Amino acid sequence: MKDEVLLDVSGLRLTLGETLVLDDLSFKVVDRVREDCVTGQVVGLLGASGVGKTRLLRIIAGLDAPDKGTVRGQNGAVLDEGSVGYVFQDYPLLAHRRVRDNLELAGTIRGMTPDAARKRARELLETFRLSDRAEFFPAQLSGGQRQRVAIAQQIMQPRRLLLMDEPFSGLDPAALDAVMHLVVEVANMHELNTVVLVTHDIRAALAVSDTLHILGRESKNGKPVPGARVLWSYDMVERGLAWQPDIQKLPAFVELENEIRARFKDL
Amino acid sequence: MSPLRAAFLPNRVIDKTTTGLIVVGWVCAALVLWLASPFKTLPTPGEIWRALGELWWQQGMGPEIFSTMRLIAHATLLTVVISLTLSYATVLPFFRPFVEAVCKLRFLGLTGLVFPFMLLTGGGYALKVALLTFGMATFFTTSMAQVVLEIPRGEFDYMRVLGASELRIVWEVVIRGTLDRALDVLRQNVAMGWAMITMVEGISRAEGGIGAMILNENKHFLLAEVYAILFVILLLGLGIDYAIGALTNVLCPYVALRRVKR
Repeated sequence: MKDEVLLDVSGLRLTLGETLVLDDLSFKVVDRVREDCVTGQVVGLLGASGVGKTRLLRIIAGLDAPDKGTVRGQNGAVLDEGSVGYVFQDYPLLAHRRVRDNLELAGTIRGMTPDAARKRARELLETFRLSDRAEFFPAQLSGGQRQRVAIAQQIMQPRRLLLMDEPFSGLDPAALDAVMHLVVEVANMHELNTVVLVTHDIRAALAVSDTLHILGRESKNGKPVPGARVLWSYDMVERGLAWQPDIQKLPAFVELENEIRARFKDL
Repeated sequence: MSPLRAAFLPNRVIDKTTTGLIVVGWVCAALVLWLASPFKTLPTPGEIWRALGELWWQQGMGPEIFSTMRLIAHATLLTVVISLTLSYATVLPFFRPFVEAVCKLRFLGLTGLVFPFMLLTGGGYALKVALLTFGMATFFTTSMAQVVLEIPRGEFDYMRVLGASELRIVWEVVIRGTLDRALDVLRQNVAMGWAMITMVEGISRAEGGIGAMILNENKHFLLAEVYAILFVILLLGLGIDYAIGALTNVLCPYVALRRVKR
């Protein structure tokens, strides 16, 4: 269904001790439909370090409760712990289980039969070019391989929403391109798939997202007001800057990147 | 740079051959120091070797070692069961104050506890097992409860995101996830058990054991025999330590992969 709401984050407020971290933070993710093409959603949340991006993801994942506000998924369903995939920044895996075991466990934990989990794990290992690492322990993987296993593990279960915390941090240009490609690939595995990623990498976020939200604190009289919210949103589809190869070379892309970079400086 | 020179520079990695040479060097130095020692009370290697033969053939050292090994194995088994149960129980807030109280008992000396334990167990072998278990379990629980306490919250959250039940999280993160550290703590505690053995076996010498044997030899100031027994204790301890290390490698092969030489 076109424009179906897949994620509705509404009026989030979060305080930690005396500090107001998030205030009235809202955004929606709707299903973008393209003719003859399976297109998932990639939503980028850009924000400076310490603005509360990870806290926001934790609330969406159901790990933390906000003081106020709601997070709802498709058909208004309340999202609770375990209903949303979440790739943490440090890509945790069970160190005592081999890669294949890590994936299979993610399937069986939610009721998949061992046979079905084995089959799905094999498929994902192939998709993520990890078949030759199936019997490795996490300690034997490189950073990039570990990230791919962590993503594969999260999509073992048929969950439509995947959160990614800083997937582009600390990567060299080649690895960055590979991860950007992977994010889009994961999103496009199903029409209703949504990847919400938080990052402070403006260029990468712009390149993969079809909607981009910038989080920050408003300022009054030159002083930042506590509590981050969505300050600006960019519809990349409307601007003709989504779903295109070599998008980073387009003048409009470069212009938008510069605009966001300028705004970022004031945050 | 020569490997031997690297051994004298901070934070360097040296190859196995150099390490072996250094070990041989240290052993030789220790032997030279021993042989050249001006202390007449320190028996020579020959005297110790002769004492060892006498202890083994004349005084029945073999059965005494078996008796001690049985005692240590029994106490270790009880310690592992009690301490792991208590440590894992700390995931339940209800048990935390109790476990913390058990950990604090490590400050109590065993000597003062002989009488209450005697009343509880009736003395003899049961008393020795109880005392040794108490001594080891308080330390084991302290170390292991700390291991459980220090599991990062992220590991629990990660399992929750996968949709695991809290019991499954306890199994994967708390029990399976800390198995290598539990074995490491066991290694330390078995060593402590050996350190306590003389005192524990001294309580009921009629039961025998290598600890009782060392006390008897000590009483008669037979230093060569005392050192021979110490030497045997050291060898047994090293053997057990090696065995637990080998068990860790079999049960937790990923541990060796995490170990990075600096």
